[in-house]
Amino acid sequence: MIDDPGKTQPMIEVHELRKSIRNGTRTVDILKGLDFTVPKGEFVAIMGASGSGKSTLLGLLAGLDTPSSGYVRLNGTAISYLPEDQLAQVRGKTVGFVFQSYQLIPTLTALENVLLPHELNADGDGLPRARQLLTSVGLGDRMDHYPVQLSGGEQQRVALARAFVLHPPIVLADEPTGNLDTTNGAHVLELLLQLNRIEGTTLVLVTHDPVLADCAGRRIVLRDGLIISDEINTARHMPTPPPPIPVAVGS
Amino acid sequence: MAGLSYRSAAKIAAREMRSSRGKFMFVLLSVAIGVAALTGVRGFSASFRTTLLTRARSIMAADLAARMGQQATQDEQKGLDDIRATGVEMTNVTEMLSMASSPKSPDPLLISLKAVDPALYPFYGQVELSPAMGLKAALTPTSVAVGDDLLLRLGLHVGDDLKVGGQMFRIAASVVNEPDRLSGTFAAGPRVLISRDALQSTGLLAPGSHATERFLFKLPPPTDGRPVSDTAVADLKAKLVALLPEAQLTDYRETNPSLTEGLDRATGLLSLMSLVALVLGAVGVAMAMRAHLQQRLDTIAIMKSLGARSSQIMKIYLLQTLLLGLAGGVLGVLLGVGVQLAFPAVLGKLINVPTDLHIQPRAILVGLGAGVLTTLLFTLPPLLDIRSVRPILILRRAVEENDDPFVTALLKKISHNSAQILATALILGGLAAIAMTLSDSPIVGTVFSIGLVVVLLALLAASAALLWGLKFFLNRTRLHLPSALRHGLANLYRPGNPSAALLAALGMGVMQIMTVYLIQRAVVTELHMTSRPDMPNVFLVDIANSEIDGVRAVLKTQPGVSTQPELLPMVTARVDSIDGVTQAEARAKADAEPKGDADGMQRNRRRRMPRSVNLTWAEAAPVGTMVVEGEWWQPGERRPQLAISQQEATWLGVKLGSTIAFTAEDRQVPATVVALTKDDGRHVFGRVQFTLPRAALNGLPVVWYGGVHVDPAQVSQFQRALYLAYPTVTVINVAQALETVRAVVIQITYVIQFLAAFSIFAGVIILASSIAGTKYRRIREVVVLKTLGATRARIATIFSIEFAVLGLVAGTVGIVFANLIVRTLEHRVFNVAYKSQLPLNLTALLATAALTVATGWIASHRILGQKPLEVLREE
Repeated sequence: MIDDPGKTQPMIEVHELRKSIRNGTRTVDILKGLDFTVPKGEFVAIMGASGSGKSTLLGLLAGLDTPSSGYVRLNGTAISYLPEDQLAQVRGKTVGFVFQSYQLIPTLTALENVLLPHELNADGDGLPRARQLLTSVGLGDRMDHYPVQLSGGEQQRVALARAFVLHPPIVLADEPTGNLDTTNGAHVLELLLQLNRIEGTTLVLVTHDPVLADCAGRRIVLRDGLIISDEINTARHMPTPPPPIPVAVGS
Repeated sequence: MAGLSYRSAAKIAAREMRSSRGKFMFVLLSVAIGVAALTGVRGFSASFRTTLLTRARSIMAADLAARMGQQATQDEQKGLDDIRATGVEMTNVTEMLSMASSPKSPDPLLISLKAVDPALYPFYGQVELSPAMGLKAALTPTSVAVGDDLLLRLGLHVGDDLKVGGQMFRIAASVVNEPDRLSGTFAAGPRVLISRDALQSTGLLAPGSHATERFLFKLPPPTDGRPVSDTAVADLKAKLVALLPEAQLTDYRETNPSLTEGLDRATGLLSLMSLVALVLGAVGVAMAMRAHLQQRLDTIAIMKSLGARSSQIMKIYLLQTLLLGLAGGVLGVLLGVGVQLAFPAVLGKLINVPTDLHIQPRAILVGLGAGVLTTLLFTLPPLLDIRSVRPILILRRAVEENDDPFVTALLKKISHNSAQILATALILGGLAAIAMTLSDSPIVGTVFSIGLVVVLLALLAASAALLWGLKFFLNRTRLHLPSALRHGLANLYRPGNPSAALLAALGMGVMQIMTVYLIQRAVVTELHMTSRPDMPNVFLVDIANSEIDGVRAVLKTQPGVSTQPELLPMVTARVDSIDGVTQAEARAKADAEPKGDADGMQRNRRRRMPRSVNLTWAEAAPVGTMVVEGEWWQPGERRPQLAISQQEATWLGVKLGSTIAFTAEDRQVPATVVALTKDDGRHVFGRVQFTLPRAALNGLPVVWYGGVHVDPAQVSQFQRALYLAYPTVTVINVAQALETVRAVVIQITYVIQFLAAFSIFAGVIILASSIAGTKYRRIREVVVLKTLGATRARIATIFSIEFAVLGLVAGTVGIVFANLIVRTLEHRVFNVAYKSQLPLNLTALLATAALTVATGWIASHRILGQKPLEVLREE
């Protein structure tokens, strides 16, 4: 870990990031050299049309793939070229990930799904924290349900709890409300922001929904693999607070 | 898409296959391996069996033989001519005792004369002569071939003259081996082979001469290159029973028990292995198609959301399935033929059998049919499920991801879906028909089919019980278990998890493999035992009572004699009456009865009462003889009790408690039947059918009959030595014939072991590919786990636990059922005692679990190394 006492360490640092994939005989450049940093605690929305490279960017930020060139540093650690198993550790401890299609393990109960990152990456008893989080997303009475027994919105709430269970410094979300109707979507977003606030995480959210992006403090817009705009959102819109949910996040 | 033509449906199907070539290749190969195993095993075993059956027939030189005490009557001859007209070849062999002399030596010698028609005899096998020459060249109207012992006794050489009857013959050759030596009479005196024409010229065949006629029959072989069927042999036998009531009919299967037993066992085992190959192939196809269709669910949902109707989609996938089945089938048949051609090359040195390979169109059709039918069987029910696929699937995929399209769906749908039931029933019928044509042994087929259905049900029950039990266990303990263990166990009952299907496939596979292995092992052990190289192969005829101790002494000192000699005392006796009915009464009664009635057998039996028989004594059942009914007497028994061979008892129509009155040297011996026996055909004692307690025959004149094993290379030296000491004792050498039998039996064991190894190997490959086929559905799980920070080792641990449990459960059920089936089959078909082998079974169980886990690892290796984003992007 690089520690620079002179300056606040950026939580995310992206440098000259490029990604190409081979599609048959053709090489497609998805990301064509991105540079940006995200300070701790910031909420960034990444926007762009379909195919602009936003999901790939998010995947590289999470260490789900290796870039073709350039690098990503998370909390000072260059993650891009780590061996697979070390990368897994980084994913587990540094990043919480929320998928568009929830991606819960179907054989595990809601509680077990939330507990899973703890079991994979931490010692000690993660159960109180997992229970707390599930309660905080309003699923206190559905902990022993399997994913198939939950609605889409409920599954995504389980996924949120799972993303936050290890107090990760960074949470990455890929269209977290994309599969949900407006009401459920708003509810999930609300919970995400709430957890983000309480936990003080750095949040990067991929979306093409302008309403969602309006909530972010900063918007990065991609087109054809390049950043075409990176601006602070002055008119930051906070959605109407949802009915109060008891959030008692212990340490 | 209202009128989707088959053409465009085929185009869509082909397009889809092109786009994901790798996955389709996997399905195709699974089908091909199954079909290849079937075609290869089946084809080779058919060729091998043809060869073996020909060998077996050479032991009696014919398909069927009828032995008669006298010449055929005119009526009988006419009947025989009719049979000949149907294409059956026929020749007769006359055997009689006579005298021969040489101009060189004054003393005439008792000979055992055998007259044959060298143009026809033998139908199977070959008469070996020294110097090597054709039988036709040796047996002319003026020349004969003789046994070595005759040359020895008369001090003659090949080329010298020999006087038989009134005629002088030139000795053209010495007889090294007659194919049917084992089935001829073991009469005293050296062999003289003569042509029928020459025998006529001797004038020996006068009416009333004690000649035995043996008619040899050969059925016309079917045109397709297969051996004459046993049914055809049985049909001819039935005809002959009616035609020649007094003849003793023997078919080629009855001449040498160890050979026919070997053949029966080989046939049973080979047909078992064909069935196993079929079922294993089907399992492979089923698992591959199952994984394949599951991946197509998305595509189907998309097509539906684009407005495709279920019938249209079914058309597309049905065509695709047929295409896959057919392509896999063709590839499999090609592979199978290749394997079949490779077998003799691999086995060439070991079996030394020039198996004439003919690739039968029927075998190819069976292979193709099995490929297409099994593919259809396992895809049609899930295809019919297409009707219930909702387009919402594409949207809610993560939620409804796994709607198990096979086992559970099949069971569920069957309850309220007639189309599926009908399709399934039709296809199952087709497969059963294939299985029927595959199985040469109906019992094997039946036991196996029943076993299969039962084991399938048991496996489904076991998987249900396992899943229920696991759920119960996990609900109670789940958060107290180490998480990898909990996760691995939980994976077993994920919704739509392939556990049930994989369990069924694995369990069936293990059962099949174990069945083949266990039976193969038992049969090979048994065959090795029955073809032990120390069976008597030299027989001594006519040893006088005064010579017996001397002969014993010679046998003890002779080199090459490797076993305790078996010596059998014989007392000649007359049969006066059976159960009070005398010879004359029986014949009169038989003649009085109308001919052609239903109870012809009964009448024939009365005619068969022998005039003179040989009796022997023994205080306990002699070696190689088994009591099948009744009980042997206690040593020291003085009453005239009788043990009679079961075959003879049936022949004469006597039962336990019957009385047979013998007269030997004016002494009346009314003996009561107390035991029915069966001999193994490999010992001397089997040569005499009537055994009494020693006391009952005390004081009667005795001649001895002996059997001993002599090293085949030292037989002639042995013969010489015995002749010098006891010139009147005839030595009959069947060493060569027995070696032939032994060689064939040994070859059978090699082929059995080889084919069993091949089936097992193919089975393991198929099972491994079934396990590997589940990998596609794990990709997503791997990705999620990786995103959550799981290391590859961790994921591998979770999968290992899942696979180990699957392997253990499937292995247990499979092995238990294999033992049950083996137990039934060994008892009923293979006539081998079942021995439970706990260590072997445990090893097999652990091996199953280890292989399952290992295959799971190998299959998951690539997906474990994959970058999560690659997979996520594909979605």
